[in-house]
Amino acid sequence: MADPYITLVSSLPYLPPFEKAERSPITRLRLEQRLHDLEPGDARQLALAEVLASWRMSLAKPKTDKEMVLRYRAGMQEITQPALREFLEFRMDQKTILSGLRQRNVVFESSFIEQVHGGSRWVNFIASHWDHPDFGLAAVYPWIPEARSFLEANDARGLDRLIMGVIWQRLSRIAESNIFGFEAVFAFFFKWDILQAWLARDAEKAKSRFQELIKEVKNDS
Amino acid sequence: MEPLILALGWIGLYAPLALGAVGSMIGCARAGSAACGALLEVESGYGRYIGVAAMPSSQTIYGIVVTMALRRDLTLENSPGIFGLGLLAGLAMLYGAIAQGNASAASINVSKSKLEVFGISLAPAALVEGFSVFAFVFALVLAAGIPK
Repeated sequence: MADPYITLVSSLPYLPPFEKAERSPITRLRLEQRLHDLEPGDARQLALAEVLASWRMSLAKPKTDKEMVLRYRAGMQEITQPALREFLEFRMDQKTILSGLRQRNVVFESSFIEQVHGGSRWVNFIASHWDHPDFGLAAVYPWIPEARSFLEANDARGLDRLIMGVIWQRLSRIAESNIFGFEAVFAFFFKWDILQAWLARDAEKAKSRFQELIKEVKNDS
Repeated sequence: MEPLILALGWIGLYAPLALGAVGSMIGCARAGSAACGALLEVESGYGRYIGVAAMPSSQTIYGIVVTMALRRDLTLENSPGIFGLGLLAGLAMLYGAIAQGNASAASINVSKSKLEVFGISLAPAALVEGFSVFAFVFALVLAAGIPK
């Protein structure tokens, strides 16, 4: 009858809105210690989901849309928790739409389909509405027009803020659906991930990240 | 038929206490789990959270009092009344304690992050307590009408 994660959820700190946060309320190490209370199955689901939906940059991040879709499809075969699946599908939809918005002026729709085929449920719909400013999806995803305007203005920070805000709201709703359940735990985890990513956006870190990427490219070639 | 009616009377006699205690166990366990989690996150005011976690224990006390009020020699005349009154009062205590445990856990969860809402966040748990008191008081009033 008792919720399995009532103690775990109560032990997690309050996360301020990511834009207003000055520091992270919990370190990765401390968060991982708290997450030891997860059931083994749930812990595995979260680890799999982190690879697919983590915001923070990592060297293991897929380099192409095709790679992203392949990883997504492989990961989703093992994700069974319904709310987590729904969230990951939402993230995939979001990534696919953004990819489409970025590439629209560069590639044909056939090339786009080829890259993201098998990922989001909206791929064919987007391709069939390739010339529509919002792919005909603005009613479903009201953030698309704003995202498009940020992309046109080359405002990467504004775009990130928008997308992070959309995900943040989605995660807040997921957490409210079961305040002491696994939903609340993974919602906290991904919100914390967003907050970390937002806080990491400073010039020095961007420079070191850029240097890491340069090194990686050199090693690949 | 007579033994069955008398058995129902015994069930009704003990139901307020037993069901109230079951509800308190569940409610206190839930709220207590939340309190333990909160203790990891806060630096002071530990007693406040443990105190809130104990709120669902009141239903057991109400159950004891109702059981004592119903206590009498069981007969064919009074057993059906004791069964009905005792069972329904017990169910009210059971559900009241579980609901209060949920409300207390939610209160602990929010007030550990925002201490200034501690008092107001207890309002839902206090409301649940009020309904338990209604069930308790009217069980006592109606118990007086059951034949001795």
